Amino acid sequence: MASSEPVLAAVSPAPSRLRLALDRATGPLFALGFFAAWEAAVRLLAVPLYIAPPPSAVLWQLWRNLPRIAEYTLVTGGETLGGFLLAVCLGVPLSLAVAFSPLLRRTFYPAAVTLEMVPKIAFAPLFVTWFGFGYLPKLVIVFLVCFFPILLNGILAFTSLPPELHRLCLSTGAGRWRTFRWVRLPAAAPQLFVGIKGAAVNATVGATIAEWIGGDAGLGYYIQIATGDLRMDLAFAIILVLAALGLGLFGLVVLAERLLVPWHVSQRIPPGAGSGG
Amino acid sequence: MSVAVAIEGAAKVFPGPPAPVHALGPIDLSIEPGSFVALLGPSGCGKSTLLAMIAGLEAPTAGRITIDGRAVRGPQTEIGIVFQSPVLVDWRDVLGNVLLQADLRGLDRRALEPHARELLRSVGLEAFLDRRPWELSGGMQQRAAFCRALVHDPPLVLMDEPLGALDAMTREQLRADLEALWLRTRKTVILVTHAIDEAVQLADRVIVVSPRPGRIVRDLAVDLPRPRDLEVCESPPFHARVAEIKRIFQGYGVL
Repeated sequence: MASSEPVLAAVSPAPSRLRLALDRATGPLFALGFFAAWEAAVRLLAVPLYIAPPPSAVLWQLWRNLPRIAEYTLVTGGETLGGFLLAVCLGVPLSLAVAFSPLLRRTFYPAAVTLEMVPKIAFAPLFVTWFGFGYLPKLVIVFLVCFFPILLNGILAFTSLPPELHRLCLSTGAGRWRTFRWVRLPAAAPQLFVGIKGAAVNATVGATIAEWIGGDAGLGYYIQIATGDLRMDLAFAIILVLAALGLGLFGLVVLAERLLVPWHVSQRIPPGAGSGG
Repeated sequence: MSVAVAIEGAAKVFPGPPAPVHALGPIDLSIEPGSFVALLGPSGCGKSTLLAMIAGLEAPTAGRITIDGRAVRGPQTEIGIVFQSPVLVDWRDVLGNVLLQADLRGLDRRALEPHARELLRSVGLEAFLDRRPWELSGGMQQRAAFCRALVHDPPLVLMDEPLGALDAMTREQLRADLEALWLRTRKTVILVTHAIDEAVQLADRVIVVSPRPGRIVRDLAVDLPRPRDLEVCESPPFHARVAEIKRIFQGYGVL
Protein backbone atom coordinates (compact mmCIF):
# COMPACT_ATOMS: atom_id res chain seq x y z
CA MET A 1 0.00 0.00 0.00
CA ALA A 2 1.49 3.25 -1.16
CA SER A 3 0.03 5.29 1.70
CA SER A 4 1.87 3.27 4.33
CA GLU A 5 5.28 3.58 2.75
CA PRO A 6 6.32 6.96 4.16
CA VAL A 7 5.36 5.80 7.65
CA LEU A 8 7.48 2.66 7.34
CA ALA A 9 10.42 4.67 6.06
CA ALA A 10 10.16 6.99 9.05
CA VAL A 11 10.09 4.12 11.51
CA SER A 12 13.10 2.26 10.17
CA PRO A 13 15.31 4.40 7.94
CA ALA A 14 17.92 2.50 5.94
CA PRO A 15 21.26 2.85 7.76
CA SER A 16 23.62 5.16 5.92
CA ARG A 17 26.94 3.95 4.53
CA LEU A 18 28.82 6.09 7.04
CA ARG A 19 26.83 4.59 9.88
CA LEU A 20 27.65 1.05 8.75
CA ALA A 21 31.35 1.87 8.41
CA LEU A 22 31.34 3.38 11.92
CA ASP A 23 29.62 0.28 13.31
CA ARG A 24 32.28 -1.90 11.75
CA ALA A 25 35.13 0.26 13.02
CA THR A 26 33.91 0.43 16.64
CA GLY A 27 35.85 -2.63 17.82
CA PRO A 28 39.23 -1.76 16.26
CA LEU A 29 38.85 1.88 17.33
CA PHE A 30 38.22 0.82 20.90
CA ALA A 31 41.32 -1.41 20.92
CA LEU A 32 43.42 1.37 19.43
CA GLY A 33 42.20 3.84 22.05
CA PHE A 34 42.88 1.36 24.84
CA PHE A 35 46.50 0.81 23.84
CA ALA A 36 47.05 4.54 23.26
CA ALA A 37 45.80 5.26 26.78
CA TRP A 38 48.03 2.51 28.16
CA GLU A 39 51.07 3.91 26.38
CA ALA A 40 50.33 7.46 27.57
CA ALA A 41 49.68 6.38 31.17
CA VAL A 42 52.88 4.35 31.45
CA ARG A 43 54.98 7.17 29.99
CA LEU A 44 53.34 10.05 31.90
CA LEU A 45 53.45 8.24 35.25
CA ALA A 46 56.98 6.91 34.54
CA VAL A 47 56.00 3.35 35.46
CA PRO A 48 59.13 1.17 35.53
CA LEU A 49 59.53 -1.41 32.76
CA TYR A 50 59.45 -4.38 35.16
CA ILE A 51 55.95 -3.39 36.42
CA ALA A 52 54.18 -2.53 33.17
CA PRO A 53 55.84 -1.97 29.83
CA PRO A 54 54.34 0.40 27.25
CA PRO A 55 52.81 -1.28 24.18
CA SER A 56 55.54 0.16 21.97
CA ALA A 57 58.21 -1.65 24.01
CA VAL A 58 56.20 -4.86 23.77
CA LEU A 59 56.01 -4.58 19.99
CA TRP A 60 59.74 -3.82 19.84
CA GLN A 61 60.54 -6.96 21.86
CA LEU A 62 58.26 -8.99 19.66
CA TRP A 63 60.15 -7.81 16.59
CA ARG A 64 63.64 -8.25 18.12
CA ASN A 65 62.98 -11.79 19.38
CA LEU A 66 60.90 -12.87 16.43
CA PRO A 67 63.04 -15.90 15.40
CA ARG A 68 63.00 -17.36 18.94
CA ILE A 69 59.30 -16.54 19.40
CA ALA A 70 58.46 -18.09 16.04
CA GLU A 71 60.37 -21.25 16.91
CA TYR A 72 58.62 -21.57 20.30
CA THR A 73 55.25 -20.76 18.76
CA LEU A 74 55.65 -23.83 16.61
CA VAL A 75 56.49 -25.89 19.72
CA THR A 76 53.55 -24.64 21.77
CA GLY A 77 51.25 -24.63 18.77
CA GLY A 78 52.16 -28.25 18.05
CA GLU A 79 51.37 -29.29 21.63
CA THR A 80 48.13 -27.29 21.62
CA LEU A 81 46.88 -28.57 18.30
CA GLY A 82 48.02 -32.15 18.92
CA GLY A 83 46.36 -32.45 22.32
CA PHE A 84 43.24 -30.68 21.10
CA LEU A 85 42.82 -32.87 18.02
CA LEU A 86 43.47 -35.99 20.08
CA ALA A 87 40.76 -34.89 22.51
CA VAL A 88 38.29 -34.29 19.67
CA CYS A 89 39.08 -37.60 17.97
CA LEU A 90 38.72 -39.58 21.21
CA GLY A 91 36.14 -37.42 23.01
CA VAL A 92 33.41 -37.40 20.37
CA PRO A 93 33.31 -41.20 19.77
CA LEU A 94 33.65 -41.88 23.51
CA SER A 95 30.77 -39.55 24.33
CA LEU A 96 28.68 -41.45 21.80
CA ALA A 97 29.68 -44.73 23.42
CA VAL A 98 28.87 -43.45 26.93
CA ALA A 99 25.53 -42.07 25.72
CA PHE A 100 24.42 -45.52 24.53
CA SER A 101 26.21 -47.91 26.87
CA PRO A 102 24.77 -48.31 30.39
CA LEU A 103 27.93 -50.20 31.30
CA LEU A 104 30.21 -47.31 30.31
CA ARG A 105 27.89 -44.89 32.06
CA ARG A 106 28.42 -46.83 35.29
CA THR A 107 32.16 -47.35 34.90
CA PHE A 108 33.98 -44.98 32.57
CA TYR A 109 31.81 -41.92 33.16
CA PRO A 110 32.26 -41.63 36.98
CA ALA A 111 35.99 -42.20 36.51
CA ALA A 112 36.13 -39.40 33.96
CA VAL A 113 34.18 -37.05 36.24
CA THR A 114 36.50 -37.85 39.16
CA LEU A 115 39.52 -37.19 36.97
CA GLU A 116 38.00 -33.89 35.92
CA MET A 117 37.60 -32.83 39.56
CA VAL A 118 41.37 -33.15 40.09
CA PRO A 119 43.28 -30.10 38.86
CA LYS A 120 45.06 -31.53 35.82
CA ILE A 121 48.10 -29.45 36.61
CA ALA A 122 48.65 -31.62 39.69
CA PHE A 123 49.53 -34.43 37.28
CA ALA A 124 52.14 -32.39 35.44
CA PRO A 125 55.16 -33.23 37.67
CA LEU A 126 54.11 -36.87 37.51
CA PHE A 127 54.00 -36.77 33.72
CA VAL A 128 57.48 -35.21 33.68
CA THR A 129 58.71 -38.19 35.70
CA TRP A 130 56.95 -40.64 33.41
CA PHE A 131 57.42 -39.06 30.01
CA GLY A 132 60.38 -36.68 30.44
CA PHE A 133 60.63 -33.02 29.39
CA GLY A 134 59.66 -33.42 25.77
CA TYR A 135 56.49 -33.26 23.69
CA LEU A 136 54.57 -36.17 25.21
CA PRO A 137 53.79 -34.87 28.75
CA LYS A 138 52.53 -31.57 27.25
CA LEU A 139 50.38 -33.43 24.78
CA VAL A 140 48.85 -35.44 27.62
CA ILE A 141 48.11 -32.33 29.70
CA VAL A 142 46.50 -30.51 26.76
CA PHE A 143 44.52 -33.64 25.97
CA LEU A 144 43.25 -33.86 29.56
CA VAL A 145 42.11 -30.23 29.76
CA CYS A 146 40.37 -30.54 26.36
CA PHE A 147 38.85 -33.96 26.75
CA PHE A 148 36.28 -33.36 29.47
CA PRO A 149 34.28 -30.50 27.98
CA ILE A 150 34.06 -32.50 24.74
CA LEU A 151 32.97 -35.67 26.54
CA LEU A 152 30.38 -33.94 28.74
CA ASN A 153 28.81 -31.91 25.93
CA GLY A 154 29.00 -34.91 23.61
CA ILE A 155 27.00 -37.07 26.01
CA LEU A 156 24.43 -34.29 26.31
CA ALA A 157 24.38 -33.89 22.52
CA PHE A 158 23.80 -37.56 21.79
CA THR A 159 21.13 -38.08 24.47
CA SER A 160 19.04 -35.01 23.62
CA LEU A 161 17.24 -36.22 20.50
CA PRO A 162 13.62 -34.99 20.72
CA PRO A 163 11.40 -38.05 21.48
CA GLU A 164 9.07 -37.38 18.54
CA LEU A 165 11.98 -37.24 16.12
CA HIS A 166 13.14 -40.56 17.53
CA ARG A 167 9.66 -42.00 17.02
CA LEU A 168 9.66 -40.74 13.46
CA CYS A 169 12.96 -42.58 12.87
CA LEU A 170 11.55 -45.75 14.42
CA SER A 171 8.49 -45.59 12.14
CA THR A 172 10.73 -45.60 9.07
CA GLY A 173 12.49 -48.80 10.06
CA ALA A 174 15.82 -46.96 9.90
CA GLY A 175 18.45 -48.91 11.79
CA ARG A 176 21.02 -47.40 14.11
CA TRP A 177 23.34 -46.35 11.33
CA ARG A 178 20.80 -44.52 9.14
CA THR A 179 19.26 -42.88 12.20
CA PHE A 180 22.72 -41.76 13.29
CA ARG A 181 23.75 -40.49 9.89
CA TRP A 182 20.60 -38.61 8.93
CA VAL A 183 19.25 -37.45 12.28
CA ARG A 184 21.27 -38.13 15.42
CA LEU A 185 24.61 -36.74 14.25
CA PRO A 186 23.32 -33.51 12.68
CA ALA A 187 21.02 -32.96 15.64
CA ALA A 188 23.98 -33.37 18.00
CA ALA A 189 26.37 -31.13 16.07
CA PRO A 190 25.53 -27.77 17.73
CA GLN A 191 25.99 -29.14 21.26
CA LEU A 192 29.16 -30.98 20.16
CA PHE A 193 30.57 -27.64 19.06
CA VAL A 194 29.85 -26.14 22.49
CA GLY A 195 32.24 -28.72 23.94
CA ILE A 196 34.82 -28.35 21.19
CA LYS A 197 34.85 -24.57 21.64
CA GLY A 198 35.33 -25.00 25.38
CA ALA A 199 38.22 -27.32 24.65
CA ALA A 200 39.78 -24.83 22.23
CA VAL A 201 39.74 -22.20 24.98
CA ASN A 202 41.43 -24.59 27.42
CA ALA A 203 44.04 -25.90 25.00
CA THR A 204 46.63 -23.08 25.06
CA VAL A 205 46.23 -22.74 28.84
CA GLY A 206 47.11 -26.41 29.23
CA ALA A 207 50.13 -26.18 26.93
CA THR A 208 51.50 -23.04 28.58
CA ILE A 209 51.25 -24.36 32.13
CA ALA A 210 52.64 -27.75 31.13
CA GLU A 211 55.71 -25.97 29.78
CA TRP A 212 56.10 -23.99 33.01
CA ILE A 213 56.24 -27.11 35.07
CA GLY A 214 58.67 -29.08 33.03
CA GLY A 215 59.78 -27.67 29.73
CA ASP A 216 62.88 -26.68 27.84
CA ALA A 217 61.13 -25.05 24.91
CA GLY A 218 57.90 -23.33 24.00
CA LEU A 219 56.17 -20.05 24.80
CA GLY A 220 55.27 -21.10 28.36
CA TYR A 221 58.91 -21.93 29.04
CA TYR A 222 60.02 -18.67 27.42
CA ILE A 223 57.59 -16.56 29.48
CA GLN A 224 59.08 -18.04 32.64
CA ILE A 225 62.59 -17.08 31.51
CA ALA A 226 61.43 -13.55 30.64
CA THR A 227 59.64 -12.90 33.94
CA GLY A 228 62.60 -14.40 35.86
CA ASP A 229 64.75 -11.71 34.26
CA LEU A 230 62.07 -9.06 35.02
CA ARG A 231 61.74 -8.47 31.26
CA MET A 232 58.07 -7.71 31.30
CA ASP A 233 58.16 -6.20 27.82
CA LEU A 234 59.25 -9.57 26.43
CA ALA A 235 56.76 -11.39 28.68
CA PHE A 236 53.93 -9.28 27.31
CA ALA A 237 55.13 -9.89 23.77
CA ILE A 238 54.88 -13.65 24.41
CA ILE A 239 51.46 -13.23 26.00
CA LEU A 240 50.40 -11.41 22.85
CA VAL A 241 51.50 -14.36 20.72
CA LEU A 242 49.80 -16.84 23.07
CA ALA A 243 46.59 -14.84 22.78
CA ALA A 244 46.91 -14.93 18.99
CA LEU A 245 47.52 -18.69 19.11
CA GLY A 246 44.42 -19.24 21.26
CA LEU A 247 42.33 -16.95 19.08
CA GLY A 248 43.60 -18.73 15.98
CA LEU A 249 42.52 -22.13 17.25
CA PHE A 250 39.17 -20.79 18.46
CA GLY A 251 38.68 -19.05 15.10
CA LEU A 252 39.28 -22.32 13.26
CA VAL A 253 36.65 -24.05 15.39
CA VAL A 254 34.16 -21.22 14.85
CA LEU A 255 34.83 -21.41 11.12
CA ALA A 256 34.26 -25.17 11.12
CA GLU A 257 31.03 -24.64 13.04
CA ARG A 258 29.84 -22.06 10.54
CA LEU A 259 30.57 -24.46 7.69
CA LEU A 260 29.10 -27.57 9.30
CA VAL A 261 26.04 -26.22 11.16
CA PRO A 262 25.04 -23.07 9.27
CA TRP A 263 21.41 -23.97 9.96
CA HIS A 264 21.61 -23.63 13.72
CA VAL A 265 19.77 -20.76 15.39
CA SER A 266 23.06 -19.35 16.73
CA GLN A 267 24.47 -19.09 13.19
CA ARG A 268 21.52 -17.38 11.53
CA ILE A 269 21.81 -13.82 10.41
CA PRO A 270 19.89 -11.66 12.90
CA PRO A 271 16.88 -9.80 11.48
CA GLY A 272 17.83 -6.35 10.26
CA ALA A 273 21.40 -7.29 9.44
CA GLY A 274 22.39 -8.48 5.98
CA SER A 275 20.02 -8.43 3.07
CA GLY A 276 16.88 -8.46 5.20
CA GLY A 277 15.95 -12.12 4.51
CA MET B 1 -15.44 -56.85 4.92
CA SER B 2 -11.69 -56.38 4.98
CA VAL B 3 -10.02 -54.80 7.96
CA ALA B 4 -7.01 -52.49 7.96
CA VAL B 5 -6.52 -52.26 11.70
CA ALA B 6 -8.02 -54.64 14.25
CA ILE B 7 -7.82 -53.91 17.95
CA GLU B 8 -8.92 -56.71 20.27
CA GLY B 9 -9.12 -56.08 23.99
CA ALA B 10 -6.15 -53.72 23.97
CA ALA B 11 -5.44 -52.09 27.32
CA LYS B 12 -2.62 -50.09 28.81
CA VAL B 13 -1.60 -49.81 32.43
CA PHE B 14 1.43 -47.68 33.26
CA PRO B 15 3.20 -49.39 36.16
CA GLY B 16 4.14 -46.22 38.02
CA PRO B 17 5.68 -45.30 40.50
CA PRO B 18 3.96 -44.03 42.54
CA ALA B 19 0.92 -46.17 41.69
CA PRO B 20 -0.11 -48.07 38.56
CA VAL B 21 -2.23 -45.94 36.24
CA HIS B 22 -4.91 -47.64 34.21
CA ALA B 23 -4.71 -45.41 31.15
CA LEU B 24 -6.80 -47.16 28.57
CA GLY B 25 -9.06 -50.01 27.62
CA PRO B 26 -9.94 -52.66 27.06
CA ILE B 27 -10.62 -51.40 23.52
CA ASP B 28 -12.18 -53.34 20.65
CA LEU B 29 -12.16 -51.63 17.28
CA SER B 30 -12.03 -52.58 13.62
CA ILE B 31 -11.03 -50.02 11.04
CA GLU B 32 -11.83 -50.48 7.34
CA PRO B 33 -9.22 -49.77 4.69
CA GLY B 34 -9.51 -46.32 3.19
CA SER B 35 -11.61 -44.91 5.98
CA PHE B 36 -10.97 -41.74 7.95
CA VAL B 37 -11.43 -42.48 11.64
CA ALA B 38 -11.20 -39.93 14.45
CA LEU B 39 -10.34 -40.94 18.01
CA LEU B 40 -12.02 -38.21 20.01
CA GLY B 41 -11.61 -37.79 23.73
CA PRO B 42 -10.69 -35.40 26.50
CA SER B 43 -7.09 -34.73 27.49
CA GLY B 44 -5.50 -37.69 29.25
CA CYS B 45 -7.99 -40.31 28.06
CA GLY B 46 -5.29 -42.47 26.51
CA LYS B 47 -6.16 -41.82 22.86
CA SER B 48 -2.57 -40.89 22.01
CA THR B 49 -1.41 -44.03 23.80
CA LEU B 50 -3.75 -46.08 21.64
CA LEU B 51 -2.26 -44.46 18.53
CA ALA B 52 1.28 -45.22 19.79
CA MET B 53 0.23 -48.84 20.36
CA ILE B 54 -1.08 -49.10 16.79
CA ALA B 55 2.25 -47.67 15.58
CA GLY B 56 4.05 -50.29 17.66
CA LEU B 57 5.83 -47.59 19.64
CA GLU B 58 4.21 -48.75 22.88
CA ALA B 59 3.22 -52.27 23.83
CA PRO B 60 -0.30 -52.95 25.09
CA THR B 61 -0.48 -54.40 28.61
CA ALA B 62 -3.24 -56.70 27.42
CA GLY B 63 -4.96 -57.56 24.14
CA ARG B 64 -3.86 -57.65 20.55
CA ILE B 65 -3.51 -55.27 17.62
CA THR B 66 -3.17 -56.37 14.02
CA ILE B 67 -2.53 -54.35 10.87
CA ASP B 68 -3.60 -56.08 7.65
CA GLY B 69 -3.78 -59.31 9.62
CA ARG B 70 -0.22 -59.08 10.96
CA ALA B 71 0.23 -58.73 14.70
CA VAL B 72 1.89 -55.50 15.80
CA ARG B 73 5.13 -56.29 17.58
CA GLY B 74 7.59 -53.43 17.65
CA PRO B 75 7.61 -50.26 15.54
CA GLN B 76 5.52 -50.45 12.36
CA THR B 77 7.07 -49.17 9.17
CA GLU B 78 4.20 -49.38 6.67
CA ILE B 79 2.76 -46.19 8.12
CA GLY B 80 3.09 -42.42 8.03
CA ILE B 81 3.06 -40.44 11.26
CA VAL B 82 2.14 -36.83 11.97
CA PHE B 83 2.70 -35.38 15.44
CA GLN B 84 1.29 -32.32 17.17
CA SER B 85 4.51 -30.45 16.40
CA PRO B 86 5.85 -30.58 12.84
CA VAL B 87 9.17 -32.23 13.94
CA LEU B 88 11.01 -30.83 10.91
CA VAL B 89 14.80 -30.76 11.07
CA ASP B 90 16.56 -27.41 10.74
CA TRP B 91 19.46 -28.76 8.67
CA ARG B 92 17.23 -29.57 5.70
CA ASP B 93 15.02 -27.41 3.54
CA VAL B 94 11.33 -28.19 3.07
CA LEU B 95 11.86 -30.61 0.19
CA GLY B 96 14.76 -32.21 2.06
CA ASN B 97 12.59 -32.67 5.13
CA VAL B 98 9.97 -34.53 3.11
CA LEU B 99 12.71 -36.64 1.54
CA LEU B 100 14.17 -37.43 4.98
CA GLN B 101 11.55 -40.16 4.89
CA ALA B 102 13.34 -41.65 1.83
CA ASP B 103 16.82 -41.37 3.35
CA LEU B 104 15.78 -42.97 6.64
CA ARG B 105 14.14 -45.81 4.72
CA GLY B 106 17.15 -46.28 2.49
CA LEU B 107 15.02 -45.52 -0.58
CA ASP B 108 16.25 -43.73 -3.66
CA ARG B 109 15.76 -40.06 -2.98
CA ARG B 110 15.56 -39.17 -6.68
CA ALA B 111 12.82 -41.73 -7.23
CA LEU B 112 10.63 -40.15 -4.53
CA GLU B 113 11.42 -36.53 -5.36
CA PRO B 114 8.70 -36.07 -8.03
CA HIS B 115 6.09 -37.36 -5.59
CA ALA B 116 7.44 -35.11 -2.83
CA ARG B 117 7.23 -32.07 -5.12
CA GLU B 118 3.72 -33.00 -6.19
CA LEU B 119 2.54 -33.36 -2.57
CA LEU B 120 4.12 -30.06 -1.57
CA ARG B 121 2.47 -28.38 -4.55
CA SER B 122 -0.91 -29.77 -3.53
CA VAL B 123 -0.64 -28.06 -0.13
CA GLY B 124 0.57 -24.78 -1.65
CA LEU B 125 4.23 -25.04 -0.68
CA GLU B 126 5.71 -25.14 -4.19
CA ALA B 127 7.33 -21.73 -3.70
CA PHE B 128 8.95 -22.79 -0.42
CA LEU B 129 10.77 -25.99 -1.41
CA ASP B 130 14.21 -24.55 -0.65
CA ARG B 131 13.19 -22.71 2.52
CA ARG B 132 14.28 -23.86 5.96
CA PRO B 133 11.63 -24.76 8.56
CA TRP B 134 12.27 -21.66 10.66
CA GLU B 135 11.37 -19.46 7.69
CA LEU B 136 7.87 -20.96 7.56
CA SER B 137 4.74 -20.28 9.59
CA GLY B 138 3.48 -23.00 11.91
CA GLY B 139 0.74 -23.97 9.48
CA MET B 140 3.18 -24.28 6.59
CA GLN B 141 5.50 -26.40 8.71
CA GLN B 142 2.66 -28.76 9.56
CA ARG B 143 1.68 -28.98 5.87
CA ALA B 144 5.25 -30.08 5.13
CA ALA B 145 4.90 -32.68 7.90
CA PHE B 146 1.75 -34.04 6.18
CA CYS B 147 3.73 -34.44 2.98
CA ARG B 148 6.54 -36.24 4.82
CA ALA B 149 3.99 -38.70 6.21
CA LEU B 150 2.62 -39.43 2.73
CA VAL B 151 5.64 -39.34 0.43
CA HIS B 152 6.43 -43.06 0.75
CA ASP B 153 2.80 -43.90 -0.03
CA PRO B 154 1.93 -45.74 3.20
CA PRO B 155 -1.45 -47.49 3.38
CA LEU B 156 -2.02 -46.21 6.93
CA VAL B 157 -1.50 -42.68 8.28
CA LEU B 158 -1.54 -41.97 12.03
CA MET B 159 -2.06 -38.40 13.20
CA ASP B 160 -1.66 -37.37 16.82
CA GLU B 161 -3.50 -34.05 17.31
CA PRO B 162 -1.84 -32.62 14.19
CA LEU B 163 -3.80 -29.36 14.33
CA GLY B 164 -3.73 -28.99 18.11
CA ALA B 165 -0.88 -26.48 18.27
CA LEU B 166 -2.14 -24.16 15.53
CA ASP B 167 -4.13 -20.95 15.80
CA ALA B 168 -7.84 -21.12 15.01
CA MET B 169 -7.66 -19.67 11.52
CA THR B 170 -4.73 -21.83 10.41
CA ARG B 171 -6.51 -24.84 11.88
CA GLU B 172 -9.53 -24.20 9.64
CA GLN B 173 -7.30 -23.97 6.58
CA LEU B 174 -5.40 -27.14 7.44
CA ARG B 175 -8.61 -29.09 8.01
CA ALA B 176 -9.57 -28.33 4.44
CA ASP B 177 -6.07 -29.25 3.23
CA LEU B 178 -6.17 -32.48 5.17
CA GLU B 179 -9.53 -33.48 3.74
CA ALA B 180 -8.38 -32.64 0.20
CA LEU B 181 -5.24 -34.75 0.68
CA TRP B 182 -7.31 -37.63 1.97
CA LEU B 183 -9.85 -37.40 -0.85
CA ARG B 184 -6.99 -37.61 -3.33
CA THR B 185 -5.05 -40.44 -1.69
CA ARG B 186 -7.78 -42.38 0.17
CA LYS B 187 -5.38 -43.71 2.77
CA THR B 188 -6.62 -45.25 5.97
CA VAL B 189 -6.30 -42.37 8.42
CA ILE B 190 -6.54 -42.50 12.21
CA LEU B 191 -6.75 -39.00 13.63
CA VAL B 192 -6.43 -38.35 17.36
CA THR B 193 -8.12 -35.13 18.41
CA HIS B 194 -9.90 -33.44 21.29
CA ALA B 195 -11.82 -31.04 19.02
CA ILE B 196 -15.38 -32.25 18.44
CA ASP B 197 -16.04 -30.14 15.34
CA GLU B 198 -12.72 -31.21 13.84
CA ALA B 199 -13.59 -34.89 14.29
CA VAL B 200 -17.04 -34.43 12.75
CA GLN B 201 -15.71 -32.34 9.87
CA LEU B 202 -12.96 -34.75 8.88
CA ALA B 203 -13.94 -38.29 9.81
CA ASP B 204 -16.20 -40.99 8.39
CA ARG B 205 -16.38 -42.42 11.86
CA VAL B 206 -15.91 -40.70 15.18
CA ILE B 207 -14.85 -43.01 18.00
CA VAL B 208 -15.72 -41.24 21.23
CA VAL B 209 -13.37 -42.20 24.07
CA SER B 210 -14.29 -41.69 27.73
CA PRO B 211 -12.07 -39.96 30.31
CA ARG B 212 -9.36 -42.17 31.86
CA PRO B 213 -9.35 -45.10 31.76
CA GLY B 214 -10.28 -44.52 28.12
CA ARG B 215 -13.00 -46.74 26.72
CA ILE B 216 -15.05 -46.48 23.56
CA VAL B 217 -18.42 -45.02 24.53
CA ARG B 218 -19.78 -44.21 21.09
CA ASP B 219 -19.00 -45.21 17.53
CA LEU B 220 -20.62 -42.53 15.41
CA ALA B 221 -20.83 -42.77 11.62
CA VAL B 222 -20.61 -39.36 9.94
CA ASP B 223 -22.24 -39.65 6.51
CA LEU B 224 -22.17 -35.97 5.58
CA PRO B 225 -21.27 -35.10 1.97
CA ARG B 226 -17.67 -34.29 1.03
CA PRO B 227 -15.84 -32.03 0.69
CA ARG B 228 -17.14 -30.70 3.96
CA ASP B 229 -16.96 -27.05 3.16
CA LEU B 230 -18.45 -24.16 5.10
CA GLU B 231 -21.92 -24.99 3.84
CA VAL B 232 -21.77 -28.54 5.19
CA CYS B 233 -20.22 -27.42 8.48
CA GLU B 234 -22.99 -24.84 8.93
CA SER B 235 -25.76 -27.36 8.20
CA PRO B 236 -28.16 -28.72 10.85
CA PRO B 237 -27.01 -32.37 10.45
CA PHE B 238 -23.42 -31.28 11.23
CA HIS B 239 -24.51 -29.40 14.32
CA ALA B 240 -26.72 -32.27 15.41
CA ARG B 241 -23.73 -34.63 15.47
CA VAL B 242 -21.55 -32.14 17.32
CA ALA B 243 -24.31 -31.66 19.88
CA GLU B 244 -24.76 -35.40 20.28
CA ILE B 245 -21.08 -35.84 21.13
CA LYS B 246 -21.12 -32.83 23.44
CA ARG B 247 -23.92 -34.41 25.42
CA ILE B 248 -21.81 -37.55 25.89
CA PHE B 249 -18.94 -35.53 27.35
CA GLN B 250 -21.37 -33.55 29.49
CA GLY B 251 -22.46 -36.88 30.93
CA TYR B 252 -18.87 -37.46 32.04
CA GLY B 253 -18.63 -33.99 33.53
CA VAL B 254 -15.97 -33.03 31.00
CA LEU B 255 -17.97 -30.20 29.46
